[in-house]
Amino acid sequence: MTDLVKITVDGREIEVPAGELVIKAAQDHGTYIPRFCWHPRMKEVGMCRMCLVEIETPRGTILTTSCTTPASAGMVVHTASETTKKAQAGILEFLLINHPLDCPVCDKGGECPLQDQTMAYGPGESRFVEEKRHFEKPIPISDLVFLDRERCILCARCTRFADEIAGDPLIEFKDRGNHTQVQTFPDLPFSSYFSGNTVQICPVGALTASAYRFKARPWDLRRVESSCSHCTVGCSIAVEASRNDVLRFNGVDNDATNQGWLSDKCRFGFEFIGSENRLRTPLIKVDGEFQETTWADALDLVAERLGSIIEEHGGEAVGGIGGARSTNEDAYAFGKFMRTVVGSNHLDAQLDDGLDARFLAGVSPRAKIGDLDHAAAILLWAPDLKEESGSLYLRVRHAVQEGGAKLVVIHPRRTGLDDRATHKLTYRPGQGFGLLADLAGGEGDYAAVLETLSHGPVVAIVGRTGLTEAPELAEAVAGFALGLPDATVLPFARRSNVFGALDMGVAPSLLPGRVAADDAEAMAQLEAVWGPIPTHEARDTLGILEGLAVGDLKALILLGADPVRDVPDATVARRGIEAAEFVVAIDLFLTDTNQLADVVLPAEAFGEKEGTVTNLEGRVQKVNRIVTGPGQSQADWAILDDISRRLSKPLAFASAEAICKEIADVAPAYAGMTWELLEWDEKEGAVVPYGEAVQPLIHHPAAADRKALEAMSRQPSSGAFALHLARTLYDDGVLMRNSLSLHALAPGAAVHLHPEDAGRLGVTEGALVEVKSVDASIRLPAVLDSSLLTGVVYVPFNQPWTPSLGAALSVVVAAGKEVSA
Amino acid sequence: MSLWPADVQERAKELIGRYPDPKSAVMPLLYLAMRQDGYLTEAGMGEVAGWTGHTPAQVQSVATFYGMFKTEPLGQYLVSVCTSISCMLLGGDDVLEAVEEATGVPHGETDAERLFSVEHVECLGACGGAPAVQVNYELIEGSTPDQARALCRWLQDERPEVVNTDDMQERFGGRRSFDWAIAESENAVGPYPAFGPYGTTPGGEV
Amino acid sequence: MSHAQVLFARMAEHPTDSHTLVMYEATGGYVQARRAMDMTRDEIVELVKTSGLLGRGGAAFSAGLKWSFLAPARPAYLVVNGDESEPGTFKDRQLLERDPHQMIEGIIIASVANEVREAFIYIRGEYPKPARRVQQAIDEAYAAGYLGKGIFGTDYDLDVTVHLGGGAYICGEETALINSLEGKRGEPRLKPPYFPAAKGLYMMPTIVNNVETVSNLPHIFEMGTDDYRALGHATDTGTFLFSVSGHVKEPGNYELPHGITWRELIFDVAGGMREDRGLKAWIPGGASAPWFVPEHHLDLEITKEATGAAGSMLGSGAVVVMDETTCVVKAAERVVRFFSHESCGQCTPCREGTTWLEMILRRIEAGSGRPIDAELLLDVSDNISPGLTWPPKQTTICPLGPSAVSPITSVAKYFADELRQHIVQGGCPLD
Ligand SMILES: Cc1cc2nc3c(=O)[nH]c(=O)nc-3n(C[C@H](O)[C@H](O)[C@H](O)COP(=O)(O)O)c2cc1C
Ligand code: SF4
Ligand code: SF4
Ligand code: FES
Ligand code: FES
Repeated sequence: MTDLVKITVDGREIEVPAGELVIKAAQDHGTYIPRFCWHPRMKEVGMCRMCLVEIETPRGTILTTSCTTPASAGMVVHTASETTKKAQAGILEFLLINHPLDCPVCDKGGECPLQDQTMAYGPGESRFVEEKRHFEKPIPISDLVFLDRERCILCARCTRFADEIAGDPLIEFKDRGNHTQVQTFPDLPFSSYFSGNTVQICPVGALTASAYRFKARPWDLRRVESSCSHCTVGCSIAVEASRNDVLRFNGVDNDATNQGWLSDKCRFGFEFIGSENRLRTPLIKVDGEFQETTWADALDLVAERLGSIIEEHGGEAVGGIGGARSTNEDAYAFGKFMRTVVGSNHLDAQLDDGLDARFLAGVSPRAKIGDLDHAAAILLWAPDLKEESGSLYLRVRHAVQEGGAKLVVIHPRRTGLDDRATHKLTYRPGQGFGLLADLAGGEGDYAAVLETLSHGPVVAIVGRTGLTEAPELAEAVAGFALGLPDATVLPFARRSNVFGALDMGVAPSLLPGRVAADDAEAMAQLEAVWGPIPTHEARDTLGILEGLAVGDLKALILLGADPVRDVPDATVARRGIEAAEFVVAIDLFLTDTNQLADVVLPAEAFGEKEGTVTNLEGRVQKVNRIVTGPGQSQADWAILDDISRRLSKPLAFASAEAICKEIADVAPAYAGMTWELLEWDEKEGAVVPYGEAVQPLIHHPAAADRKALEAMSRQPSSGAFALHLARTLYDDGVLMRNSLSLHALAPGAAVHLHPEDAGRLGVTEGALVEVKSVDASIRLPAVLDSSLLTGVVYVPFNQPWTPSLGAALSVVVAAGKEVSA
Repeated sequence: MSLWPADVQERAKELIGRYPDPKSAVMPLLYLAMRQDGYLTEAGMGEVAGWTGHTPAQVQSVATFYGMFKTEPLGQYLVSVCTSISCMLLGGDDVLEAVEEATGVPHGETDAERLFSVEHVECLGACGGAPAVQVNYELIEGSTPDQARALCRWLQDERPEVVNTDDMQERFGGRRSFDWAIAESENAVGPYPAFGPYGTTPGGEV
Repeated sequence: MSHAQVLFARMAEHPTDSHTLVMYEATGGYVQARRAMDMTRDEIVELVKTSGLLGRGGAAFSAGLKWSFLAPARPAYLVVNGDESEPGTFKDRQLLERDPHQMIEGIIIASVANEVREAFIYIRGEYPKPARRVQQAIDEAYAAGYLGKGIFGTDYDLDVTVHLGGGAYICGEETALINSLEGKRGEPRLKPPYFPAAKGLYMMPTIVNNVETVSNLPHIFEMGTDDYRALGHATDTGTFLFSVSGHVKEPGNYELPHGITWRELIFDVAGGMREDRGLKAWIPGGASAPWFVPEHHLDLEITKEATGAAGSMLGSGAVVVMDETTCVVKAAERVVRFFSHESCGQCTPCREGTTWLEMILRRIEAGSGRPIDAELLLDVSDNISPGLTWPPKQTTICPLGPSAVSPITSVAKYFADELRQHIVQGGCPLD
């Protein structure tokens, strides 16, 4: 803990941490000192000089910048003396002499620090009669961001963000002195995954977002805080809307999660909410065509079909997939619906692309995101965080850069954090087990890596590096990691509320509240509230799809899930769904999967409903409503509740909040977790189990020995390549497809291969390559990628206009034959 | 993959080797890049980025901070006239005018032929020999409008491959800041300072 | 009047080969560096402190004291500041060009004193000839075993690298220089916390000294501190190089002791006014310094203290003399233009304020001055340097911004009428 010192600000004595910058210390005690360049999450540069204050020193009173002066005992600060006021007015006058003052047509007008501070601290009229500086009006610096250099006040927030925080120094100052301007290099745009943050932190309207330009005036916007739904970090965001349109997401500084930053996917990924492709009415399929219908007719049909299947084949003939995109309340309703109304244990929130549910829900000891800041070493054996979780990527970067953590990255190819890694190990998919055995052995080259990891605290971020990777690897890695000093594991999976859905028991092996389904005692307690729960063997997503394909299962309920796109093996998904007698989908869009359904019911999206979500560290946060859903869309829980009534087994939920209370009652790890708590006491969210609550399922992954590991190792079949199949930030997922600003940014289909392999195959950069798996044969343009090992090809998953390859480890690769146009 | 010939790459490596951090070599390499293309091209900046570990945007940021890394095409002769205080007091503005007139090139510009670039500059550290002029950074002290005109005419007519400070001072100079005394053997070949280690001298040819 | 020549002695006596190693050694060169090899850091630092040597780069800070502040972390670096770009200053150029070994010997001494194994000489890009001379001398010193591995047969390694600037005066400021050497924009760093002796080049302890400062070291060793001190004035020891330019008959660099008067410097040493015109004003210590005028300052002693008390400074020793034909508005515009052009652009007041001042002065000079402009000039100046005091206060990171204010306050103080005439007559009254 830092010592507290007493300082005096404008005659008032306050106690602040020694060394805290005066600007922050004063603000925390209610004295706001104006500023432009200083940002609490970036290093101080003292450039704008707006925060000048007078400080009494032994050598007399000096005028100095409060953003660069650390508080020390006995310091006396004047923030509003005559000298200070004159200096601040002077700075504002200087900033305004070259400012175009085009506020009426500026997006920032109404929420502009320059405007506000000019009102508060500025001079009256400008005495500047000379010619202003001129630049070409807004120029695009990336696909998402425009720059107006005339409005820029050269505070370097954007350039520092790009360099210090994002690690993408693609915008920089150009020229010098009065000619200084922010610029990119010609033909090298600011194509950072984090570019939108610069729009948010620009203190003037110099940087604007193409998704928001001219859409609204700040004073027309309503605002609500929420938790972002694009990955499992659950970044805090402000959702802003005008009339019934969501127009903007901004990052909110939550110290526990995103510290104010958002990736562009999250910032601009709001567009899907207002998409005209959203479902507005229930649809039923008549003669192979969807027809709009009423809720009553649609629900009657669902109840009738489900009812007769259940009657004829039993509840276990029905499977349920989804819930990872829903709130905890919706997911809980789904689980309860499947287990008690339908009478089936076949339900899964993961789409065969995740990890063992007990591992994700119960791994222990589990790390918090904030633990990264104090880690001595970080082991990252997980997907490329830059592609799958932007804010976690930034947090790890920060932990290494500022916290001094040593980073070990283990991955089949280049990742965004390699440049910050002390050690980077690259391996062939399938052979992670062998590598783990070598690492644990610590012989030869691995000695140094092991030594780095032998200083605690160690935080291990463990996930599935790619979709062809065996999920068991994560368990083994976590087992190894937990043997390191003072180690904790942060389990990584990517789909928004997957951790919440698993905690709500939407998995074959789990019951609500981090309870193993085979925990008889807990089961009995739950049955006391729920009524009887079926006892048959439960299937996961793959099991459900396979069961449908062979007729063991007859019906499928989809809750915001798109297996045809998201299950790695699309063929299996399609086959199962096509074979099903009856499929009902609750969703936002008519996805590739829903096209195959019999009934599609329109659901409410993020921003249209209230509830809670749980992130990868187990932090529960509130999501809030700001607009109403389009057409006749309904909350997931309400739809399920309606169906349950028609099946004469009413769930009888009163509201989402009431469901939350029920969760707090029946789900042990969620005891005490109420909306009230999150709205009043724990604004940064609360990590479960909270307070007195206990978590019944404690999962300690076990370290495996070399023999066991080597037994699990897999090789591609002879002559074949090992396939690395991994997601990119922007892809062809349904939310991306309906966020127009982002969809175009998907990198597109390609096959990456090592230059040596390319040479052997006679393939050059850009040439078409034939990639054959058991299920498919597709032609992809080649990208030479020396970050791969030889014998490995990387194919980005789910790209626009690309058929699925399936997820088998082995693929056969050959130079593509020319196709005539 | 470098666009530079092998010997230039060797020199780049040598320059980088002089510093504890490759990023420090950015300025020497920028001169080296100017030597290759006659001015600082985008490709040149990209090349320097590759060698030093900066991004191209960072290299551009550094290059444009300084006055001598010119990102526009330059003439064979860069004529710089000092119009800072000491030179101004002794007629530097008139010398500038004479140069503009003799070359037909206004300051800040380059002629279509790319023979002359003309600029006015701040103090050249030759105030005791004001007004001062440089051709490709080689100094002439104690200039006058007439001598400046003669200098330009000479450059135009003779088109010397290299320029030498003593030679030009002898022909077109006047009072010096101090006794130069020792004849200078090195010459300049283009609009960048001639310095052996940077490969910008005639010997540094490739 | 003749004064002891120390730094300029060799080049005066051996004009054609003072720059060579042979001549340098023939005249006692590198003996002192060898001596230093056998001394401890503390002994050398103490010696230099006792000598009273003040930095010659402008700030006149005790060299020995600066060295004593060197933080313990290693490696430590030495950077010799040869960026010399302040209008009126050209003395380092002469030292670099005419006696480079003198500086190199100083570098060896300073390196040993500060446990430096890698030194850099930052020479402004517009000085290719001085850079070439220095490089030749360095090559000679390497060949002789005075630089490189195991210098003078000891186990001490010392590398020296010449780094050419790119045309930016601000890189003379030591923290900007360090950024520039790191391959960054030459923007000054925040002080605190980035005092070079604590966190300098690559965030390691770094000593930055001017070319002239370093060139003094061999002489301090050779003469001993008493004789060295005796060369100069009680508080300003040794000799000092003055660069005299402008409207004098004999402009040039002069090596002088402190303590003579301005009258002696301008009228005796520099030969008096060109064409015997009247003296109107002079800048006593480089473009940043407030001006002096004959009515008040001609018989002042040239010392750091007397100059400071009279509201100006000796700075880097550049004296720019203006005769009665000089338009002070134009002269001020030229000086302000320099600072505006050389502003690194980080600080709002310097970036915007200096340019604004330049524009106003140019407009007045062109005949479009407004009555409020005289006051506006001062108020804009006040927003860059609050109170318009001497030494200046600053709203900026480094002193460059406030430097631009000196000519304005000088004109306001001594030539208010001439400024008013410009505005009233709509042009220059001297034209
Ligand atoms: C704007 C500015 C420009 C400067 N230019 C130079 C310069 O060209 N040469 C120099 O030696 N010092 C210059 N200085 C002073 C340096 O910052 C530093 O004090 C000096 O190099 C230290 O050396 P010394 O102690 O030997 O004088 C400048 C300072 C400022 C604020
Ligand atoms: S664009 Fe905005 S954030 Fe960037 S420097 Fe200019 S004012 Fe600052
Ligand atoms: S005062 Fe001027 S030169 Fe100095 S740091 Fe500020 S802007 Fe740069
Ligand atoms: S906020 Fe302190 S200088 Fe900009
Ligand atoms: S003022 Fe021209 S060289 Fe110094």
